Amino acid sequence: MSSLADYFETDWAAMTASDWVGTLLTVVIFVLMGVAYFQVFRPKNRDKLEAKKHIPFEDDHEDLGENDG
Amino acid sequence: MEATADYAAERKYDFDVVRWFTIMAVVYLVVGAAVGVYIASELAWPFLNFDNPYISFGRLRPVHTNAVIFAFGGCTLMGTAFYTVQRTCGVSLWSNRLAWFTFWGWNAIIVLAVITLPLGLTQSKEYAELEWPIDILIAVVWLAFTFNFIMTIANRKTSHIYVSNWFFLGMMVMIVYLHVVNSLSIPVGLMKSYSLFSGVQDAMIQWWWGHNAVGFYLTAGFLGIMYYFVPKQANRPIYSYRLSVIHFWALMFGYVWLGAHHLQYTALPDWTGSLGAAVSLAMIIPSWGGAVNGMMTLSGAWDKLRTDYVLRFLIIALAFYAMSTFEGPVMSLKTVNALSHYTDWTIGHVHSGALGWVAGISIGAIYHLMTRLWHTEMWSEKLVNVHFWTATIGTVIYVVAMWVSGIMQGLMWRAYDEYGTLAYTFVESVAAMHPYYAMRAVGGGIFLLGAIIMLFNVLMTVLKSATAGSLREARGMPAVAVA
Repeated sequence: MSSLADYFETDWAAMTASDWVGTLLTVVIFVLMGVAYFQVFRPKNRDKLEAKKHIPFEDDHEDLGENDG
Repeated sequence: MEATADYAAERKYDFDVVRWFTIMAVVYLVVGAAVGVYIASELAWPFLNFDNPYISFGRLRPVHTNAVIFAFGGCTLMGTAFYTVQRTCGVSLWSNRLAWFTFWGWNAIIVLAVITLPLGLTQSKEYAELEWPIDILIAVVWLAFTFNFIMTIANRKTSHIYVSNWFFLGMMVMIVYLHVVNSLSIPVGLMKSYSLFSGVQDAMIQWWWGHNAVGFYLTAGFLGIMYYFVPKQANRPIYSYRLSVIHFWALMFGYVWLGAHHLQYTALPDWTGSLGAAVSLAMIIPSWGGAVNGMMTLSGAWDKLRTDYVLRFLIIALAFYAMSTFEGPVMSLKTVNALSHYTDWTIGHVHSGALGWVAGISIGAIYHLMTRLWHTEMWSEKLVNVHFWTATIGTVIYVVAMWVSGIMQGLMWRAYDEYGTLAYTFVESVAAMHPYYAMRAVGGGIFLLGAIIMLFNVLMTVLKSATAGSLREARGMPAVAVA
């Protein structure tokens, strides 16, 4: 393996339909992962997301009729 | 507050099926660990095979793995999933009857496994040994479990689906897909079939299933348990909800790539192993993020570990989760794999995850459930503490024995002299393993002792609840009296 370029060299003409479907799915999912990271760590979304952490404790109050929501 | 809330929940939700899953999980933990200790002893003292094929290592080993993974792990996952989905969605199960079908169906599968595997009826695929009619039954029961869970979420009163349910759901969907594809076979008789795949494709499909059974069943499912039971037992919300969201998506995205790292230096194309190893290394980040998230839930309240033995189980489990999700990627690297593969190091790694992480988080969740479902304290808190120490010490002895023997094994197999001849015969390496095999049996025996103590304590707690009438009281108390 002389260089990284050799390692990543691909015979595009030999790509089958399955290869293309797999490649595109992977790229799309990878991009979506990037979007997920961005959205989750965006300061604007912090309070909205962190509020969900109390859900396991909400049903204690709700079961006792303490939840007015 | 907590007790009265549990009384109200008792009347609102379907907990009977959860109680039965919980009890059966503890029974199967004892059975699975007992078979494990026996086969570990067979390796140390082969006379224990008694020249009897039905109890030979080869036949009992899948009984052990199926009992601990699918019987103990399955009952734990199903019981905790049915419990948490109700409590986090604020509704009872979509179908209590379907939940009971899941319970009886899953237990029937376990009985069939216990009958067929010692008879040598197997597809010879690791962690997927059961023959085709049982595979179909597994698919039906698992789909019933999944459908009921999804419909319960669909009926929820909360607007948001809590993260533990995401992990359970990820496990359910992926296991349907993995189990069905890996089990595709051509039946040639009632208990004989041949895989639809052959050669290197069969190997790749098998380890795509094998590692994802670890990733989605033994990791994602038990992380679902962690994200509900650690906060509840600590009485503090999870440290970072945002981190849990990233943990979930990174796990779902990453795990499916790893299977090829089980097939380094085989007929599989070289790049697939490299890709498997690269993504394995990347997986350290979300795995450690999740482990830290669970542990940091105790931030500012570490003193709870002094007195709360159940919390100790949950937190030590996270420590083992962090350790094994670091060790696994390291072992997947080709250089390390050249030494570790086919040796007992792999067995040590697996048991660090299985005993430390999976059993630890399960045991913690089951003790938590015991007090919530039977509405009484454990019969003996001291025995919970004894169990904690036997489980931890037993696991450490087991894992250390396998680390030492595995690395020694790998070094002996690759050693050669100045003439290029192998320095040791295979038999010499087997003989060198003996003290460590005995040590492993002792470690497993200590872990088993803890499991027996747990079963005794659990049964005595049920008896205590029945004698005091605490469950009846919880069921019968009118709502107005609770408030």
